[in-house]
Amino acid sequence: MLSLPSRTDRDLYPALMSPVLCANYPTDHKAFVRIDVSLRIYWHTLFDICPELLELSGPDGMSIFRPFMAWAGEKKLAFDWSYYLWVYVWLRQSPFKDRLLADDKYLRSIMAASAARWAILDRGRDCGIVIGCADTKNLVIGWKCRSVRLGREIELIEPEEPLPAPPDIFGYFTLQSFELDIFPGWQSLAR
Amino acid sequence: MRLGFNFTLGDTYDMVQRLIAERHIDYCEFLIDNFFCVDPNELAKAFDCPIGLHIMYSKFLEADRPMLVDFAARLRDYIDALNPIYVSDHILRFSHEGRAFFHLGEIDYSAEYEFVRDRVLQWQEIVGQRIHFENYPSIMDGGREAPAFFERLMKETGAGVLFDASNAVCSNRNCGTPFEAWRNVIAGAQHFHVAGYRNSLIEPFISLDTHAEALAPDTLAFLENFRSVFDKPGATMTYERDDQIEFDDIVADLKLLRNLFGEPEERRHDLALSA
Ligand SMILES: [Fe+2]
Ligand SMILES: [Fe+2]
Repeated sequence: MLSLPSRTDRDLYPALMSPVLCANYPTDHKAFVRIDVSLRIYWHTLFDICPELLELSGPDGMSIFRPFMAWAGEKKLAFDWSYYLWVYVWLRQSPFKDRLLADDKYLRSIMAASAARWAILDRGRDCGIVIGCADTKNLVIGWKCRSVRLGREIELIEPEEPLPAPPDIFGYFTLQSFELDIFPGWQSLAR
Repeated sequence: MRLGFNFTLGDTYDMVQRLIAERHIDYCEFLIDNFFCVDPNELAKAFDCPIGLHIMYSKFLEADRPMLVDFAARLRDYIDALNPIYVSDHILRFSHEGRAFFHLGEIDYSAEYEFVRDRVLQWQEIVGQRIHFENYPSIMDGGREAPAFFERLMKETGAGVLFDASNAVCSNRNCGTPFEAWRNVIAGAQHFHVAGYRNSLIEPFISLDTHAEALAPDTLAFLENFRSVFDKPGATMTYERDDQIEFDDIVADLKLLRNLFGEPEERRHDLALSA
């Protein structure tokens, strides 16, 4: 028997993003399956897009996913386009740190994933986003869909004259046209 | 019944052109806010067929008024350029306490009715036109309250319902919402969705609105049993496919729908003229 309320999705909202709260529901109950469906999408959003991370965690991803989601819950992360960048911030202070920093493919994949997520999900008037990181001189740009025949586009830029490093691990700025012609300074990630 | 296909991003452009050319579909539904950086005139010329507009991320239940006003101002440019058959949006939750869901959440139909009604009235007023709101593929038992909720919402706001038939099938399988309970909603709706679903990976199985597989037998049976309630002058049904996009599979499903509903009235007229 389930003693927790579960009449509506709304009763489950906090658990939909928390593996810890999910464990309070009996596995043979529909509420558990509904929460599991939600958590799997956070999992797939991370590892389908950045499969390299599974090399660090092992194939089920759980040694990254569970502690990251718990940490994200404490920090009340918004899970907006910067989802992947926060995974990197977490990895950088985790036991995975040395392996993470030994190969820049992880960072490249993570920056591209967040740029793409911004380009798909942002509904403001900006056309593009530039993401920079203190661990690399390279920039990643995400462009929104600008023609009916194209999707969003992701660009990796290796600037000849690097921009100043962002004050935090990551910084970003947005572009009001489809051209990288300004550097207004870095904005810090919102939680 | 006019049949359509959902166009969400550029990679299916050529396929949609072919569906139109081969007359498998009669119109196309844009996920319009994915294209807010595309010139409205380019979009208007993209396909030689009528257009429906489907809004994904207005978040009109959660966003503040200035954001909605700005969203609506851009939407308006596309409404003016495309002269769509309909404009539709979703009644669901994108976040909880400022944290985003990746699998979107259903509302509480009894506790939130007044709130949603007021938001719907405000959103239609800001956009400056009638909007059709889509029903959710319910999982939890509160989903049984959805038919009465949508019926009342139509009555009290003048809004339409974009009735997603396979979402109602998921709801029937997951929480037992009877098809019969939707009769008045279907009768009052002009615009429909339909797609495939699949089961969850773990038991007790729930049905998920995945838009990645063929139409299920119970979805087709539902359409058949209520055929005359769905079909009416001006009615549209968008076949949604977001994954496993295979031309032949999509055409096979569209043919099933065509067989079920027959050629749309407009097309019968065209055929008579050309005969
Ligand atoms: Fe659906
Ligand atoms: Fe739908």
